[in-house]
Amino acid sequence: MDRTGSGFMSLVRSAVKEISLNLHSRPGARLITLLMVALAFIVFNTFLIISWNLQGIVDKEEDLVGMEVFLQRDISQAEGRTIGDNISSMQGVKSVYFVSSQEAEALFRAELPGRTDLLDVMGNDFRLPASLQITFETEAMSQGRISELSRQIEAVAGVEDAVYGEDYLPGLLKTVTTIRRLVVLLGIVLVSSISLVVFYTVRLSVVRRSLTVDIMRTVGAPWWFIRIPFVVEGLFMGVTGSAGGLVLVAILSKVLSSAVAQRFMPLSWMTLVILLCAVTGTVGALAGSYEKER
Amino acid sequence: MLVTMSGVRLSYGRWPALDKIDMEIRQGEFLVISGASGAGKTTLLRLIWMGDRPDSGFVEVSGFRSDRIRNREFPQLRRKIGIVFQDFRLLHTRTVFDNVALPLQVTGTGNRIVQKRVISLLARMGLSHRRNAFPHELSGGEQQRVAIARAMVAHPVILLADEPTGNLDPEVSREVVDLLLEINRGGTTVVMATHDPRQVPAGKGRFLFLDRGVLRGADRWTELDPDS
Ligand SMILES: Nc1ncnc2c1ncn2[C@@H]1O[C@H](COP(=O)(O)OP(=O)(O)O)[C@@H](O)[C@H]1O
Ligand SMILES: [Mg+2]
Repeated sequence: MDRTGSGFMSLVRSAVKEISLNLHSRPGARLITLLMVALAFIVFNTFLIISWNLQGIVDKEEDLVGMEVFLQRDISQAEGRTIGDNISSMQGVKSVYFVSSQEAEALFRAELPGRTDLLDVMGNDFRLPASLQITFETEAMSQGRISELSRQIEAVAGVEDAVYGEDYLPGLLKTVTTIRRLVVLLGIVLVSSISLVVFYTVRLSVVRRSLTVDIMRTVGAPWWFIRIPFVVEGLFMGVTGSAGGLVLVAILSKVLSSAVAQRFMPLSWMTLVILLCAVTGTVGALAGSYEKER
Repeated sequence: MLVTMSGVRLSYGRWPALDKIDMEIRQGEFLVISGASGAGKTTLLRLIWMGDRPDSGFVEVSGFRSDRIRNREFPQLRRKIGIVFQDFRLLHTRTVFDNVALPLQVTGTGNRIVQKRVISLLARMGLSHRRNAFPHELSGGEQQRVAIARAMVAHPVILLADEPTGNLDPEVSREVVDLLLEINRGGTTVVMATHDPRQVPAGKGRFLFLDRGVLRGADRWTELDPDS
């Protein structure tokens, strides 16, 4: 018997042959996995896109929806700038821009050229109040934080009034927060279902070959020899299933890209999903190969 | 002694499938285990290849004891055992050649030796022309001969045949039994389980009878069938 020397290499060669035999069978199961994974990705990516688009809107609005802080009339330009510096050191404030009384008037005339009569009516002594234009950091853009900041700012000596877009900003922020949470939740649900799909398809395809496992066992194949083809298959199915699903989604979103502003999910997420599917595929294969054993 | 069973009991659920089994199988004998369906024949054979282990008592096969065997020793034990089933259990996606070569390939036998041994074995069993056929292209008798070739290719010390003729018509059954007898003459111990012991001529083997999990000793089948 040729058990020495080349024995182990022959065994490895046989194992490689088993692996390739295995990979060449059952394209159906692999296709099902791929489609299921793709479907899950499509749903997930749709929500991601919605969330990203809304985020884009919010980013734009955030710049517009700052706060306008009117200063008391007797405040000089120097005092106004000092107040501005004070406010800019508050947490959550991104920028402060001082608008002097003269600038305010110039702006008014520039923006409403037809209504300069209003200023004339007020007489020569009339001055528009100086003001501070404030924008906020994104983290501070919540209803609670902004109203708190406005109270803080109104308490500063020399400040007359603080005005901000109270009506629609909080609603918008809430929507975005909700959708972001939904995306995370959906991500968790979909990633778990993708994993389960991979797990069960792989396990099923292994259990369906329990005859092979049985025969291998009864003819005295070592346990690693019996399982390695299934493990490789599970790994392969997990990777091709998830990568194929991603490719399908990418194609789909390319096709639809004219309709909506597009961004694909980040590379790190894709890597993570593929890795996860590789692991669940492998575990599924092992679970399947142990199914009939006692 | 090749196989020893001592005080063996094995239950699936409430009732024992086998109970109080004490027996020995000598090297080179042809043992026929008969009994009605459900009597425990398959279970007894499973205990020999240690697909199951007894709840109490022990089975010893060629130096491996069921209560001491380690996980990594199962493959070593099974390489000494050839098994043939009623339903052949050939891998339907592989050719006759690959099915027969399997036991050699899983032990790392070199390719040249595999070729030589499989080809000569197929020739001896009259299956040379079927070498590249797939199992579903063969008759039942041919499939069972392929299964026997697979069981014998690695030169086992014992061949277990579980109702090997169960799916075959009488004439083909006779051929299969003749083949098993021939294998036994070649020195391999054969254990054949069957519900119909008349398939083996009375002088050609030792007969044991299983009755609902209990061994009833030799030649009981003659009492059951006074005509024969
Ligand atoms: N895997 C199993 N699970 C539960 N019961 C089983 C199992 N295998 C066999 N049995 C039971 O054990 C008894 C003996 O079965 P078996 O050895 O297959 O009989 P035979 O081969 O003589 O027909 C039967 O009652 C059968 O139902
Ligand atoms: Mg049976």
